[in-house]
Amino acid sequence: MRWSFVRRIAAKEILSTLRDHRAIVSNLIIPLLLLPVIMLGLPLLLGGLFQREATTVTELAVQGVEHLPPDLAAAIEAQAAVLVAVDDAESAVRGDAYPAGLIVAPGFADAIAAGGRAEVVIVVKEANLRAELNAGKLRSAVDAYRRGVVAERLVDAGIDPAVLEPVAVSTLDASTEAERSSGQLAWLIPFFIAIWTLTGGQMTAIDATAGEKERGTLEVLLVTPVRRGEVVFGKFLAVVLFGLSAALMAIVGFVLGGTVLRRLFLPLIGEQGGEMAAMMGGSLTITPTTIALLVVSSVLMAAVVAALLMSVTLFARSFKEAQTYVAPMSFLLIVPAIALQFKDLIGTGSFAYWIPVYNVMILMDDAVKGAARLAPILTTWGVMAALIAVLLAFAYVNFKREDVLFRT
Amino acid sequence: MIHVQGLTKRFDDLVAVDDVSFDVAAGQVFGLLGPNGAGKTTTLRVLATLLRADGGRATIAGHDVQREPEAVRRAIGVVNGGMGLYDRLTGREVLHYFGELYGMRRAAIERRVEELDGLLDLAGTLDKRTGEFSTGMKQKIVVARAVLHDPPVLFFDEATSGLDVMARRAVLDFSRRYPGEARAVVWSTHVMSEVEELCDSVAVLFRGRVVADDTVAGLKEAAEAPDLEQAFFTLVRRSGLAQGQEVAA
Repeated sequence: MRWSFVRRIAAKEILSTLRDHRAIVSNLIIPLLLLPVIMLGLPLLLGGLFQREATTVTELAVQGVEHLPPDLAAAIEAQAAVLVAVDDAESAVRGDAYPAGLIVAPGFADAIAAGGRAEVVIVVKEANLRAELNAGKLRSAVDAYRRGVVAERLVDAGIDPAVLEPVAVSTLDASTEAERSSGQLAWLIPFFIAIWTLTGGQMTAIDATAGEKERGTLEVLLVTPVRRGEVVFGKFLAVVLFGLSAALMAIVGFVLGGTVLRRLFLPLIGEQGGEMAAMMGGSLTITPTTIALLVVSSVLMAAVVAALLMSVTLFARSFKEAQTYVAPMSFLLIVPAIALQFKDLIGTGSFAYWIPVYNVMILMDDAVKGAARLAPILTTWGVMAALIAVLLAFAYVNFKREDVLFRT
Repeated sequence: MIHVQGLTKRFDDLVAVDDVSFDVAAGQVFGLLGPNGAGKTTTLRVLATLLRADGGRATIAGHDVQREPEAVRRAIGVVNGGMGLYDRLTGREVLHYFGELYGMRRAAIERRVEELDGLLDLAGTLDKRTGEFSTGMKQKIVVARAVLHDPPVLFFDEATSGLDVMARRAVLDFSRRYPGEARAVVWSTHVMSEVEELCDSVAVLFRGRVVADDTVAGLKEAAEAPDLEQAFFTLVRRSGLAQGQEVAA
C-alpha cells in the first residue's frame, strides 16, 4: 500500500464532496442545527403549551351544577377554570364546545353533608391532549376536595387523618450524577451519531463507487498504475471523514443544545418543559473522557458504516440504484438503536458488547452516563475493528471482480 | 510494441474474444474494426489489464498484461467515447489528479499541461469545472488525460462518438500525429471512414474473432471490393461467422 496514492485518492474524493453543496448541507449544517432545534424547540414548545394551558382560564361544562358543593366549585375555579352550567355535559364535550366537563349526580351536596357517598363523572376525550390537560384540572380539584372531606370526617370522629397513611413511602434515586443528568432519552445520542455517520458518508460513498461507474471514470482510474487496495482505502478514508464529520457535528449540536437549554431557557419554560429537557439530556454534563469515548466510538461506527457503504454501493450501476441499496441500511442502525432504548429490560451482559453496532451504541450510552468500563470498551473496539477489516476486505474483493466493475 | 497471441475472454457461456491475434509495430495506427458486440472493447479491456484473459497471451511495450499489469498500465493511455470526467473538478485538477496517479511530480505535470495546451488547445478548459464543458471540451481533456504521462501505447475506443465535426477532426488529427516513430495507437471503431483515413493496418472483428488482418488496401484487394465497407461485408460473409444474421452485400 503506497500512502501517497491513498492520500491522493482520498483528497480528490474530499474535494469533490466539498464542492457539492447538497453534501455540505446534509453532512455538516443539518446535523449541527437539527439536534439543538430538537433539544431546544421541543421542550420550549411543549413547555410553553403546557404552561399556557395550565394558566389559561378555561370554560368547563358542568351538568347538575346546582348539586355541586360550594367548596368543590371553588376548588375547580382555583384551577383556572370557569364553570358553565349545561344540560348534557357528554354531548357538550363530544361536540367540542368544551374541552372537559363534569356530571354531578343529584343530591351530591346533600349526600356529602350527610356523611354519605356521592358520585361525580369527569367527561373528556381521552385521545385529546388539551382535553386531558383540562380534565386534569377537574381531577386535581375533585381529589383535593375528596381528601378534604375525608380529613374532616376523620377529625369529626376523633381520628387522626394520618391513620390513612400508616406507611410513608419515598424513593431514593440511586443513580449517579451522570446517570441522572443524562436523561431518559440519552439513547438518542448514539442513535443520532449512528444515523449521521450513514447520512454523512453515503453521498461520498455512492459518488466514489456507483457514481464513478456511471460517469465512466472508474475504468479510467483503474487503468492508471494505482492498485485496487489503494483505491479502496483512499475512497474509504474520504467516506469515513464525511460520516465522522456529520456525527461530530451532531455531537457538537447536542452539546450546544444542552448547554443553551440548561443555561438560558430552562427558567423560561416551566416545570413540565424542564422535565422534558431533563429527559432529553438537557442537564447532561459531558466530561473530556466522555468526549474521547464518543469520538473513538464514532470513528469506529463511521468506519464500519463506510466500509459497508463501499461494499454495497459498488454493486450498483448508477447513483440512483445505489441510493436504493443504501436506504435499507438505515434499518441496520435503527434496530440496535431501538434495542438500546430497552436495554434495561433486555439486559446488557458482557455478550452485548460482542454484537457489532449495538455494542458501540451501548458504549456511547455508558459513556454519557459515566458508566463505561475498560473491559466492555476493549471488547467493543476490538469487535468493531475486526468488522471493519472484514468489510474492507469484502470491498477490496469486489473492486477486483469483473462482474461487479463492469456490470451492465 | 503490441503483441497479441490467441487472446480469449469468456463471460459465462459467451465467448466475447475468441483466439484473437495481432501485432502492432511502433509508429503504427492499428485499427480494430467491427460492429457493436464484436469484442473490440473487451479486447482493449484485457489489454488495459481491466479484464483477465481466459486464454492466450499479450504483451505491451514488452510487458505481459497478466504478469506485469502495473507496468502495462504505465505504458498505456486510454481514450473512450464515454468521456468520463469528474464534474466538480476543473480540467487542470483532473490532469493533476491523474498525473499524480501516474507518479508524476507537480512541476512535471504543469510542464506537460503546457505542452498539451499547444497540441490540443486546452485554453478555456483548464480552470473551468468539467461539468460546465461542451462535448468537444470534454474530449480534449479526456485525450490530454490519456497522454499526460506520454505513454508509448494509446488506445482509442469509439473515441469520436458523440463529437461534432470540429472536435472529431481534432481527435483524428491528434491520433494520426501521435505515434511518431516510437509510439503506437490502437483505434477501435465501427466507422469505416475513420479506419480508411487513419489506420496503417486493421483487424476486422466479428463475433469475437478476427476475420481478416491486413492493410486497408490489402483488405479491399482480398475482398475485391471498391471500398472498406464493401470489403468488410464480404470478409464477414466469407468467414461463415454471420450465419443466421443478414449481412449486406
